[in-house]
Amino acid sequence: MPAQTLTATLHVNGREHALPDLDPRTTLLDALRESLGLTGTKKGCGLGHCGACTVLADGRRILSCMALAALYEGREITTIEGLAPEGGAARPHPLQQAFVERDAFQCGYCTPGQIMSAAGLIDEGRTGSPEEIREFMSGNLCRCGAYANIVAAVADVARTPLVPGAREPEQGRS
Amino acid sequence: MTTPTPRTPVPVHSPREAPSPVHSPREAPPSPASSTPGGVGSSPRRPDGTLKVTGEFAYSSDMWMDDMLWGATLRSPHPHARIRGIDVTGAVRMPGVHAVLTHEDVPGEKRYGLEYRDQPVLAFGKVRYRGEPVAIVAADHPETARRALDRVRVDYEVLEPVSDPVRAAFDPDCPLVHEAGEDLPPAHPAHHRSGNRVRYQPVRTGAFADGATAAEVRALADVVVTGEYQVGMQDQAFLGPESGLAVPAEDGGVDLHIATQWLHVDQSQIAPCLGLPPEKVRLTLAGVGGAFGAREDMSMQVHACMLALRTGRPVKIVYNREESFHGHVHRHPARLRYEHGATRDGRLVYATAEIVLDGGAYASTTAAVVGVASSLGLGPYEIPHARVDAYGVYTTNPPCGAMRGFGAVQACFCYESQLDRLAAELGLHPVELRIRNAMSEGSRTATGQRVDMPLPMADMLRRAREMPMPPERAAAGPVDVRALPGGVANTSRGEGVRRGVGYGVGLKNLCFSEGFDDYSTARVRLEVVGGEPAVQVHTAAAEVGQGLVTIKGQIARTELGVERVTVLPSDTRVGSAGSSSASRQSYMTGGAVRAACLAVRARVFELVRAAGLVGDDHPDELLGLAGGKVVSGARGVLVSLADLLGASAVEETREFRHRATEMLDPTTGQGASHTQFGMCVHRAVVDVDVDLGLVKVVALDAVQDVGRVLHPQQLAGQIQGGSAQGLGLALMEEIQVSGSVIRNPSFTDYLIPTILDVPPMRIEVLEHPDPHAPYGLRGAGEPPTLSSTPAIVAAVRAATGRPLSRIPVRPEDIVGIERD
Amino acid sequence: MRSFAYLSAPDIDTALHAVSAEPNAKFLGGGTNLVDLMREEIEQPDTVIDITRLPLAEVAELPGGGVRVGALVRNSHLAAHPLIRERYPVLSQAILHGASGQLRNMATVGGNLLQRTRCVYFYDTASPCNKREPGAGCAAAEGFHRNTAVLGTSEHCLAAHPSDMCVALAALDAAVEVRSVRGVRRIPVTDFHRLPGATPHVESDLAPDELVTAVEIPPLRAAANSRYRKVRDRASYAFALVSVAAALEVEDGRVRTARLALGGVGTRPWRAREAERVLADAPATEEAFDRAAEAELAAAVGRPDNAFKIDLARRTVTAVLRRLLTTDGSTP
Repeated sequence: MPAQTLTATLHVNGREHALPDLDPRTTLLDALRESLGLTGTKKGCGLGHCGACTVLADGRRILSCMALAALYEGREITTIEGLAPEGGAARPHPLQQAFVERDAFQCGYCTPGQIMSAAGLIDEGRTGSPEEIREFMSGNLCRCGAYANIVAAVADVARTPLVPGAREPEQGRS
Repeated sequence: MTTPTPRTPVPVHSPREAPSPVHSPREAPPSPASSTPGGVGSSPRRPDGTLKVTGEFAYSSDMWMDDMLWGATLRSPHPHARIRGIDVTGAVRMPGVHAVLTHEDVPGEKRYGLEYRDQPVLAFGKVRYRGEPVAIVAADHPETARRALDRVRVDYEVLEPVSDPVRAAFDPDCPLVHEAGEDLPPAHPAHHRSGNRVRYQPVRTGAFADGATAAEVRALADVVVTGEYQVGMQDQAFLGPESGLAVPAEDGGVDLHIATQWLHVDQSQIAPCLGLPPEKVRLTLAGVGGAFGAREDMSMQVHACMLALRTGRPVKIVYNREESFHGHVHRHPARLRYEHGATRDGRLVYATAEIVLDGGAYASTTAAVVGVASSLGLGPYEIPHARVDAYGVYTTNPPCGAMRGFGAVQACFCYESQLDRLAAELGLHPVELRIRNAMSEGSRTATGQRVDMPLPMADMLRRAREMPMPPERAAAGPVDVRALPGGVANTSRGEGVRRGVGYGVGLKNLCFSEGFDDYSTARVRLEVVGGEPAVQVHTAAAEVGQGLVTIKGQIARTELGVERVTVLPSDTRVGSAGSSSASRQSYMTGGAVRAACLAVRARVFELVRAAGLVGDDHPDELLGLAGGKVVSGARGVLVSLADLLGASAVEETREFRHRATEMLDPTTGQGASHTQFGMCVHRAVVDVDVDLGLVKVVALDAVQDVGRVLHPQQLAGQIQGGSAQGLGLALMEEIQVSGSVIRNPSFTDYLIPTILDVPPMRIEVLEHPDPHAPYGLRGAGEPPTLSSTPAIVAAVRAATGRPLSRIPVRPEDIVGIERD
Repeated sequence: MRSFAYLSAPDIDTALHAVSAEPNAKFLGGGTNLVDLMREEIEQPDTVIDITRLPLAEVAELPGGGVRVGALVRNSHLAAHPLIRERYPVLSQAILHGASGQLRNMATVGGNLLQRTRCVYFYDTASPCNKREPGAGCAAAEGFHRNTAVLGTSEHCLAAHPSDMCVALAALDAAVEVRSVRGVRRIPVTDFHRLPGATPHVESDLAPDELVTAVEIPPLRAAANSRYRKVRDRASYAFALVSVAAALEVEDGRVRTARLALGGVGTRPWRAREAERVLADAPATEEAFDRAAEAELAAAVGRPDNAFKIDLARRTVTAVLRRLLTTDGSTP
C-alpha cells in the first residue's frame, strides 16, 4: 500500500525500537500501540480533541494521535508503561498511586492520558492551586466525571494545597 | 481456541481502606454490618485499579491476535434512501481484502433489536439514517479495509428525510419511515403503534380519568403556568469507542470479545442473525471504556462475527470517533408542553404534559423510554388530577435509545422548570413549593403506584437548602479570573457577573420496569487455596467503570467472612446478569452474589453439622462465618474453613429477581410499573456574565438517598459523574442535527464538560433502607443526572431573569438574542 | 490517510528546493492541524516535508523594540516567553486561550498562521464545500452555520477563521516572513489571510513553494495595555464564538492609540479598522467604545444560527475596551 516506507528508530521508555518498515502515515500513537504493543496509550478521538493519547516527548506532554511517528525519531518518548522507573503494577509512580487512592477514574480509559498529562504539567510548574490544575488539565476529557478526584490526585503529588478558596471534596488522606 | 492477548485478570487482594468522601448521616441502622475488612460499607480499592493506572488493563480496542484481520463498515451517506443495488466487485478484487459482505450474506435473521427487531444487520431495501451500515469488509490492514469501502458502489434513490418528530407523531400524511408490508414483527398491543408512532402512552388520574377536559380542570386552580420546552440530543460520549474481536471456533461457532453493557442480550440477538444456536456464540466482556447507555444496543457485534465466520480468521473492528457518533444510539431529544395549576397557597391541583420523544430510525428502547417518560413525567409531586401523553416516534434522525437517566431526564427538566415558574407566580421559595407538594412513603405516583419505600423528599430538600453556601465573590481586592465565567479568557473582574441559585429534584425508576423479567445470576465458589479460604465470584455482569467488580468482592467478603476474593472475568459461561443500566447492578447482581453466597453458607453449615461439630438440629441462625472460620454465637470458633473444606469446594449458582412489576394500562396508564424509586436533590450556584452569556457553575451540591452505602468512595464518584453529565446537558452538550444529519460528530464540536467546568461538589448521602432490596440499597448512578440539569438552569434563570426553556442553554439564550 | 512520500529537511535550502520541485508537497511542523486534515483526507499531499529540524525556533528581540518569532516556535513557548508576556500580553493570552496544554506544546507559529476553518461542512466530505472542492457549492448557507462568520463572507463561503493567535497578530500589525527559492518577502498579517470572495479555497497569500520562516511584531507602546477576550461554549478547549484582541492607550481621557481585531466572526482574522477609525482621538468612554463596535459590525451579515454573534461581538468589544480602561496591566 504505502508508496514508501522508512526505517526509523523510536526511543520509548528508555529503550530503542527499530521500525524497519514504517509507513510514513503512521502516527506515534499507532506505532506505540500496534508496532510496539504498548497499548496503555489510548485512542479516544484520533483528532486531538480528548487527550487520551497523551505521552511525553522529551518530557513535554503531547498528543500522540496528532504526531506522525517519523517526526519523533530521536526524541525520548515516555508512555504510561514507562512512567514509573521500575515499571509495572509492582512499583507504580506516585501519580499512579495517587489516582488509585483518590479513585480518580471509573472506566479508566482516559486515565493513562490524564496521568501523563499530569506528569507533564507538574514539570511545567502550573500546579500552584486547584484552579491552576483545572485550567491546565482541561485538555484531558473524562466522561465518567472523576474530575474532583483527578484534581485531588494531581494536587497530592504536586503538593498543592487543596484549600483555601477551593471547595474540593472533603476527602481525608490515607 | 487461541486466547487473544492481553487478557484481563481481575484479582481481588487484601484491600486497603480508603477514606470516605461521603458525609453520611445515618437515618437507620444498617443491615448486617461487615466485620470482614473490605466488606460492604467500606471503601476497598478497585481490584482493577492498578491495572487501569499502569496501562495494563485491556480494553476491547487493545485486543490483539497475530493472524487477525481488520473489519470496516460502509455507512449510508444519506439519511433516507432506497437502495437500488450494491456492487462489491471492485472491493473484492483488492489485494489484502478477505471478505466484502452485504445483507445478502447475513446467514440468519436479517434484523435485530434490543426490544423490537426492526434494525437491519446490514441495510436492505432502504437506509433510514445517515451512517447506517450497508456493507462490511475484512482486510489485512485497517487502511486497506477503508480503501475497499471506497470501491463498494451503492446505487441510492434519495428520499426526503422525515426530520420533524412532531410531524411524525401527529401528521397522518407524514411519510412512513418503516413502510407497510416490511414484514416487521408485531408490535406490543398496548403500545398503540401506528404510522410513525413506536409507542403512545397516556396517563390519566383524578378528573382526567373521568373524562374531564383541560378547561374544566383548569377552573379548579387559582394559578396556572404553562411552558413549552425543548431538550437537545445528548450523546453518551464515552471515551473508548466501540470495538470488538470475533474469533471463529472449531465447532463452527464464534467467540466474541466485546465491550458491552449486557453480554446475554447481545448473544440473544447475534445468534439468530448468524443462524447459530446461542451456545455457539460465546461472549467475553473486554475492558469497557465507559458506557452510559450507549452500549446497551449492539454496534458491530454481528458484523465482526460474520466476517470471522466467513474468513475463518479473527476479525477486529474498532470505530473511530466520528463513526462512534453514528454507531450508537443517543438520548432522545424531546419537545414537551406542560401545564400546572395550583391553589393560592401553593398546593398543586393538576398537571398536564405532552411529551414527544424522537426515536430516530429504529425502535431501540424507545418504547421503554416512553414508559418511563409517561409514568414519571410529572415527577415526585402529589397531584390530584394528572394527564400525560407521551409519544415515541420514528424519524430518519439518528436512532435514540438508552442514556443515563433513561426517559426521566427530559421530563425532569420541564416539571422542575414548571415548579420554579409556579413558585415565582405564588411568591414562594422554590424549595417551599416543592416541600408542600412533595411525595413521601405512601404517596401514589401519577400511575397510581403506591410508593412503598422511604422517600424523604421534604427532608432532602431542606438539607439541600441548608447546606453551606460557597463563599461570595470578593467585592474588592484581587480576583482569580479563573473563578469567573469564561475562565482565564475573562476581561471583567466580576462587574456584570451575577450569582444565581437553583434547585432540582428528580424521581427515577431503578431496575427494569413494566413487567420485564429482570434477573441476575451469580456463581460463587468457596475453596481452600494455599491453606487459606478463597472465594471466586463469577457473573456475566458488565463492569463499565461503575465499580461493580469492587462491590461483588465486598458482598462475598461480608457474607462469607473471607478476605480473599477473586472476581472472574464476565462471560456467557454463566447465566445472564441483565444489563449494566437502570442503576440496577448493585441491586440485581449484588443481590445474586449475595444469594449465591448465602447458599454457599448454608452448604458450609451442613458440612459443620455433618462433621458433628454441632448437633444435627443446630440452626443456621446460630452459626456464622468470620475471619475464615465457622463460629457459633455460644461457642465461638468451631472450625476453620481450611480444615472443614480440605480439598473440596462448595459452589452455588443463584438467580436473583426483584419483585414483579406491571404493564401500564394502555388507556389510563395506571399500574405499579416500577420496583424501586431513586431520588437526588441538587442545589446549583452559578455566576453568570450577563453581558456575554457565560456561565460558571460555582457549586453543584447534592443530597441523595441510597438506602445503604456499599462503597462510599465509589458512590461519591457516581454522584459526581452523574451530576457532571447533567451539567453538560444544561450548558453545552447537543448533537446538532440538520436535515437528519449529525453536523458535529467530533469532540471539537460536540462539547462535554472539562475539568474546568465541573465544580467541587458537597454531597450528603442518606441511608433509608428500602425493605425490598438487598441490604436496603437503592441504585445510585442515574438520579443525579436528572436533577443537576434543572438545578443549573434554574440558577442561570435566577441570575438572568431569562426564561430558558431549551437545553442546552447557550450564550445567545442568556444575553437574550433570539434564535430559531 | 492517503499515501505520501516523507522527507525530513535538514536545512532550509533543502526544504525550499524540495517544495519547489514537487507541486503537491506540504510542510509539516507541529501537525496539530495538517495531520488531522490528512486523516480526514481533506488534505492529500503527495509529499510531506518534515521541517521540525530547521533552525526556526528562536524568539529574538529586534532593534527598535520589536520581536522576531521563528516559525517553529511552539505555542506554549511563545505564550510563556518573557518578551511576549511583557510587551504583547494580548498575544500570550490569545495563545493560552486556544486548544489545550498538549496541543500548545506541539503547535507552531507558522502552522497556526495556516490553520484551516472548523466549519462543519469543510470536514464533512459528503457535503458540498467550495473551500474543499472549488465550485461544489456551500452547504453552510442553508445548513447548520452557528460557528460560521458574519464578516467578510461571500456567497461562496461563510467559514470562520479559527485561530486565536492570528487575531492578536492582526491587532499588533505583525508581518510574516516567507522564503522560497525565489527569495524572501514580508507580508503584513492583515494581508496574509484572504477574503473568500469567489475563491474560498485560496486562504492565504502564501505561494505553494513558500515557507513561513518567521513572524515579526513591531514595537507598540499601547500593546503593554492589551487583552484577548474569548467567548465560547465551554470555558476551555473550544473554538471562539467571538473573540477580541485589543490594545488601548489613553491620554487625558482621550484614545491615543486603539488596536482591535476580532476572531470567530470573520472569514479571516478580522482587523477592526472601522472601529479604530471611530476611536481615534475619541473620548475614552463606554459610549465611544459602543459606537466603534457598531461601526465595525455595520457590514456584518447574520444568518439564522449565527446572527447572535453580531450583538455578542459588539458586547465583547465594549467589554474588553472597558476593561482596558481600568486595567492595572496585570495578566493572569
